[in-house]
Amino acid sequence: MLSIDPSRTDLCEEFKRKPFGRHSADLHRLLDLMRWGYARGKTIIVCTVPHKEWRLGQLGPRRGTKVEIDRSRAFRSYEDAVWACFRARWKDITGKDCPVR
Amino acid sequence: MQRLLAYTDKLSVRPGDQVAVKVSAPDTTPYRARLMRVICGDDSPDGPGYKMEPVKGVPESERPGRHQPIPCGSYVAIRDRKGFALASFSLSAFIWPTWVDKGEPQCILGNWDAASRSGYALYLDEQGRLALRVGDSAPVALSDTFLGRHWYRLAASFDARSGQVVLSAHRALPYGGMEQRQVAKGKAKPSEAPNRFLIAAWNDGAKAAAHFNGKIDSPAIYGKALKIDALLAPPGGRGAPSARQAVAAWDFSRDVPGTAIHDRGPKRRNGQTLNLPTRAMTGWNWDGSEHNWTHKPEQYGAIHFHDDDLYDCGWETDFALRLPKNLKSGIYCLHLTQGSLEEFTPLFVCPPKGKATAKLALLVPTASYLAYANHQMATSWHFDETSSTKFTTLSPADVFMEETVSLGLSTYDLHNDGSGVAHSSRLRPILNMRPKTDLWQFNADTHITDWLEAKGIAYDIITDEELEQDGVAALKPYKCVMTGTHPEYYSERMLDGVQDYTNQGGRLMYLGANGFYWRIAWHPKLPGVIEHRRAEDGMRAWWTETGENYMAFTGEYSGLWRRNGRPPNMVCGAGFTAQGFDYSGWYDRTAASRDPRAVFIFKGVGQSEKIGDFGSIGGGAAGWELDRADFSLGTPPHALIVATASEFPASYHWVKEEFNHTHSAINGDTCPMVKADMVFFETPKGGAVFSVSSISWAGSLAHDKYRNNVSRITENVVRRFLDPKPL
Repeated sequence: MLSIDPSRTDLCEEFKRKPFGRHSADLHRLLDLMRWGYARGKTIIVCTVPHKEWRLGQLGPRRGTKVEIDRSRAFRSYEDAVWACFRARWKDITGKDCPVR
Repeated sequence: MQRLLAYTDKLSVRPGDQVAVKVSAPDTTPYRARLMRVICGDDSPDGPGYKMEPVKGVPESERPGRHQPIPCGSYVAIRDRKGFALASFSLSAFIWPTWVDKGEPQCILGNWDAASRSGYALYLDEQGRLALRVGDSAPVALSDTFLGRHWYRLAASFDARSGQVVLSAHRALPYGGMEQRQVAKGKAKPSEAPNRFLIAAWNDGAKAAAHFNGKIDSPAIYGKALKIDALLAPPGGRGAPSARQAVAAWDFSRDVPGTAIHDRGPKRRNGQTLNLPTRAMTGWNWDGSEHNWTHKPEQYGAIHFHDDDLYDCGWETDFALRLPKNLKSGIYCLHLTQGSLEEFTPLFVCPPKGKATAKLALLVPTASYLAYANHQMATSWHFDETSSTKFTTLSPADVFMEETVSLGLSTYDLHNDGSGVAHSSRLRPILNMRPKTDLWQFNADTHITDWLEAKGIAYDIITDEELEQDGVAALKPYKCVMTGTHPEYYSERMLDGVQDYTNQGGRLMYLGANGFYWRIAWHPKLPGVIEHRRAEDGMRAWWTETGENYMAFTGEYSGLWRRNGRPPNMVCGAGFTAQGFDYSGWYDRTAASRDPRAVFIFKGVGQSEKIGDFGSIGGGAAGWELDRADFSLGTPPHALIVATASEFPASYHWVKEEFNHTHSAINGDTCPMVKADMVFFETPKGGAVFSVSSISWAGSLAHDKYRNNVSRITENVVRRFLDPKPL
């Protein structure tokens, strides 16, 4: 079955080290699971200042509705926002905090 | 979120032309406008640097801001009004609704006006049930909600003397335990109002509102209350009223490419489509015996309307800009500012007609820019993240479009009702055809202009619109033609133009990938709009409904050029083979690169040098989308594959039109077809083609202040191609 093994902290570490490019087969499968299906309803990334600031957010229920942006945290690099998105989706799927901070 | 928005009546212009500039501002604060020459629109920290030059001789202007609405939603408006001011009437139509749970009324036909609450309308109500409303009387509705994507025959009658309303719907498909036919009766008071008669919308004062989503076929109206059974009979069927008896009976299978709507009734109450609904759609009677609508138009009597169709914003002109007669050919933008708000609207300035001002032309792929215009893949695609292998990331412009829903869509999107978008026009603000946007299409192509300017290589601009209009004659004056990074969408005339150019001695530098891939049509009469059907195969954003692969604009079969017998390999020696968007690789030279015919390409480049293991797009020159030489697909037999990039991770995917059966080896780490082939070959009469077969190539040109082997190879080729000496 497609599921996340919460004991695989090694995959979190791998993604944190290298969010883009060549990944191990197990991390590739984990990311496919996190990314499967429509983005609506998932945690996404919103660029709020081009090239300078990113935040986490969520799309509304359909076009024409507001994009909810998490104003409590801002990320100064895209990589940091990607890592925060990974952690949020880990929690969305497993119900538990991502074990790697 | 607020934005300053603008577009112009023309995209491709010449010196001395006048351009009508249309602007919408959030408030009346004055905005400033100035013309800028675009050298490089990439403002990212890793790019070559944002470079825009003010144009001397065109003074800045200041104008008062004003808001201009965007009238989305397609419909039909009938010219005559008085003929529809009826006391008693009957209505009939076939419909195939596509968004029954929208939660808002969707009008099928009638002349009801929500502002004055007069007239009458047959519509789907907020619950997705068929309803009839007459004047200010309470609507009469069927009890059951319609099923989406099912054909229904509709009938409604109103008798003014008795006030009786009868309403019925008959579903084409029978299902056990579900009534196939519904009937409802009620009472209303007549409303003989000479309102505008609309199909797929109703009036809200002067505006159209309550747009229908779905197909409508054979709508008709009669001037008295007819029996419901007669109205439910299909047109021409036993007991059905004839068109001669009708106030109007419209036939959508006539003049499919155009905007005229024809009435088969005696009064010829004709009309017009607005905002380009999709035509040449299979009708209620399509039986699968024919897929080309031109052969059996009587089975293509449906039009698919969408509440988010948009052809022309129709804004009033804010000011006219006269371009200087000595304006140098190039990419320009009107730069508008209002406080902290900023907007750009591009203008592609070609040289004076018939007067090339350089030996090199940059063929700007404006058809491809339109195909992607205002795309909303992040919300249209269920596979967007697994295709891009990235988490969805919205730019400020993406957020604006998501929240606004009224800028019109791209051919990559789904309409609100889930159907694919087949049209894209330039008569609207296009937020991703701008400097300071993603490095894709327009903005990525400014890496090429940036490099040409840095190298001091003179060039003219030609766009797809000139290629469509003039064919090979648009390119013929140039010794060498350079493409953009992703010239993906081609009409037949455009493809003929490029192929004729190389066959007649022209020299083509294809500086991208996934080019010459999809077949499109430009509208034969309406300016600035393309049509595309995602037919049969290919890396499709959506797929056509069965039987709808032929374009309405021209009757041509759409989809891939490869499926039309003209693979891209025949034009540029390589064709789309793979894509991935989180990494870019490098090329290695092949033994063929030492062939005397190809030596000029690699002058100053070592035999074992990695080519392009650097760059601002994915970190390499071989990436995003890749092409492969394939002699079985039309790569000329004498073509040289002079370099190849073949090291790609699993995030790269082989294109689906190449595997006839699913299997496990289709990713970059398993599939040998995931590669990029750099190709060179000679064409007749001294012509030649050089193809880099990668979208990210141009993102490497500026690396290390333009001193790198990608820049070197590009310069070696362009200088050799501009040299008239035979190859």
